Amino acid sequence: MSVFWSLVKLYVKSFYNLPGKKSPGTIAGSRPGLKPALKAVGVGALAILAVGNFAYLFVMLNLNLYQGLSMIGLQGLLVLNAAVMATMLTLVVGFMTALSTYFLNDMELQLLSMPIQPRALFAAKFVAVYISEAAFSLFFMTTAMVIFGLKEGPNPLFYLWGTLAALLLPLPALAACYMIQIPLLSLSRFLKNKRTIMIIAGVLGLVFGLAFNLYFQKMMPPVADPAARASAAAGPDSLVSRIGQAYPPALLAWRAMSDPVSPGALVAMLELVAACAIGPALAAFFLSGAYARSLVGFNESHVRKLSRSGAGAFIARRIRAGNPFLALVKREFDMMNREPMYLLNGPFIIILMPVIFGIMFVVQKDTLFSDPDLAGLRALFDGGLGAVIAGLAGAFLGSGTSIACTAVSRDAKALPFMKSLPVKPSSYMMAKLGHALAFGFFGSAIGVGLVAVAMRLGAGAVLSGGAVALSLSSLFNMLGLWLDTANPRLSWDNPIAAMKQNPNAVIAMLGAMALLGGSGWLSFRFSLGPGAFALWFGAVPAGAFAALLAAYPRYAEKRVAVMEG
Amino acid sequence: MLELSGISKTYAKSAVKAVDDLSITVKDGEIFGFLGPNGAGKTTTIKVLIGVLCADSGTARVDGIDIAADPLGAKRRIGYVTDNPELFARLKASEYLNFVGDIYGVDTATRQARVAEYASLFDIKDALGGSIGSFSHGMKQKLLVVASLLPDPQNWVLDEPMVGLDPRAAFALKETMRSRAAAGKTVFFSTHVMEVAEKLCDRLSIINKGRIVFTGTLEELKEMQGADGSLESLFLELVDEQAEAGA
Ligand SMILES: Nc1ncnc2c1ncn2[C@@H]1O[C@H](COP(=O)(O)OP(=O)(O)OP(=O)(O)O)[C@@H](O)[C@H]1O
Ligand SMILES: [Mg+2]
Repeated sequence: MSVFWSLVKLYVKSFYNLPGKKSPGTIAGSRPGLKPALKAVGVGALAILAVGNFAYLFVMLNLNLYQGLSMIGLQGLLVLNAAVMATMLTLVVGFMTALSTYFLNDMELQLLSMPIQPRALFAAKFVAVYISEAAFSLFFMTTAMVIFGLKEGPNPLFYLWGTLAALLLPLPALAACYMIQIPLLSLSRFLKNKRTIMIIAGVLGLVFGLAFNLYFQKMMPPVADPAARASAAAGPDSLVSRIGQAYPPALLAWRAMSDPVSPGALVAMLELVAACAIGPALAAFFLSGAYARSLVGFNESHVRKLSRSGAGAFIARRIRAGNPFLALVKREFDMMNREPMYLLNGPFIIILMPVIFGIMFVVQKDTLFSDPDLAGLRALFDGGLGAVIAGLAGAFLGSGTSIACTAVSRDAKALPFMKSLPVKPSSYMMAKLGHALAFGFFGSAIGVGLVAVAMRLGAGAVLSGGAVALSLSSLFNMLGLWLDTANPRLSWDNPIAAMKQNPNAVIAMLGAMALLGGSGWLSFRFSLGPGAFALWFGAVPAGAFAALLAAYPRYAEKRVAVMEG
Repeated sequence: MLELSGISKTYAKSAVKAVDDLSITVKDGEIFGFLGPNGAGKTTTIKVLIGVLCADSGTARVDGIDIAADPLGAKRRIGYVTDNPELFARLKASEYLNFVGDIYGVDTATRQARVAEYASLFDIKDALGGSIGSFSHGMKQKLLVVASLLPDPQNWVLDEPMVGLDPRAAFALKETMRSRAAAGKTVFFSTHVMEVAEKLCDRLSIINKGRIVFTGTLEELKEMQGADGSLESLFLELVDEQAEAGA
């Protein structure tokens, strides 16, 4: 096998933590018991449920869009939209993945010591990151294709072009991510502080993804707005050409798919292949060397040496007794917040999401508030909708940090040491819950606070929304921790495998989104007032949380005892 | 005092018996060496002894306390030095020491005195403010040793403690082991180097493929006579014999 493909294999295994082949010794005498089988079925069902929910969300999104667009005869734009969305998803998600996997600790050092061409090193990492982006893009494109296909019955070639486009579109986006990251992280050679740079890069990348997002939002006609609809219908060429100018690959994909059998489609697809190959080729050609150089000395850190007298003073100042439980909680905070990959993909969400929505809100303010029946909207907000939105936003932020649902997996390396300490497994796990709940509280407060300010909510709505946010996010965090206790990912060699590529995190995130969506729909359907909302979605989850909390310590004791880290 | 009796352990993920019907008793005031080649089951045995792994059968007692029945009581009497110092790279040395101190409930004055004493003994006093990730392998190892001594445990269990230590640190470690044994405390350590065991142990056990092939004092071991009279060759013979018998 060539160096390149061996590297790809290595990276893919390490990123996605694929189970290796079982060693021959394991077959003898290890009868698959009923319990593991049941567990696998349970986790599988949860995963299907979560992914299914997500698919449902995408399908609904596309279906709504289809209905809006077909009213004005522009249903073909559905495909264009899917192409743009696939790219945008890659930009934001891919940027984080690329950054998180930029340097893989000791494994990367080992590779640096080997006679490997920088180009092979970079290209292999690019491909490994690309795989998950392509899967995401394909998932999104497929939902759009299915809707369009069912409604319009296009030529089978439509699906072929669509699949190809979905696989191609993440390429330029991912190349763009690396074109930002490699120069930035090369710079840090002089700044000598990779951790700060990682975080700055994370913020920059998000801003970049957002800017792109906004750019397109301004391009797309607001489907709900009759005036914009008419203007788009009057000049569809102008709209399409505007998007085409902004992002030619999306336009090419759309062109091929909207007339799949014409020779023009083939030409467009060929152009698309060329357009999508340029970015990665340029990156591999010009940046591979810089990439490999930026890895050298990546894990250098600032070393502080104390003088003889300084050491004495240091001990007197810093070595101090504290509460054992708080020591456990503090350790949880430090272990997470000081690992850039964990920070960026976890607690950072609480800051990130409000920024995204804040910007979207500012941009769409005109369309939202120029609405003639603002008064009607006002009444809706005060009648309970405000509390619902605030509560759900808070619950989403409070449970979106992935702290609880990866708590055991992230700690896998330290598990033997932790188990050797005279600490009850239940307090050890409760410290993890405490960590998650603290961020749940922050997230709830920020979510509810921002919605309250944006919609100028009254005290009743804020209180009701706050109570719901707190109790729902606590329940989700508890469920997430339970999930990761039942089924932790204990053997990995790249920390990101315990976090982003952890199925528990995906299940918890999608599950929370589905439950929140359901709660929102129910409260809207039954037009619950702030009081009723607080009762059904505040008090009931709080009760469930309390019940789980009471049962958890015994379960944790049992589970931790048998974990073989 | 540490007692293992009839311990067997098979990892859930593999079908190989990592430890097979193993019994060892380490008395107070004794330095006990645990020898064996790579993969013999030393780390596994230690993990069962300190309550990190559950044994399939057999009991582990620490000062008479069954670790399965009263894990906290038993663990409070153990200071453990893991064989993997690459654990808490993101923490500062001082934070790690405080963490261990808090868990074992060591008060501020005692803690400061012990940190000062052992950090200067092992020559890492100047690095206490630094983050563990920036330490060399040996420095990490020394920090683990210092932390394990913070609660002044009755039983000191060390997994491959000499690996990566410079001669001065190795000497300091051996001296600390001796003085603790002299004070009536128990020292139990694993190694795969016969020389280390030879210079240090009161008694030792040799393990191979999960089974004990020898337990006794150095003199008893010497009486068995290796091919060229050295303990090293005797050790290799014991391990080979067993391998042939098992084959
Ligand atoms: N987490 C684990 N899962 C499955 N098998 C394991 C695990 N850890 C160790 N083993 C197996 O148990 C056996 C004993 O390993 P152990 O780590 O106890 O050896 P050791 O004597 O400490 O070796 P070394 O001198 O290399 O440290 C080996 O066959 C090993 O493959
Ligand atoms: Mg070992």
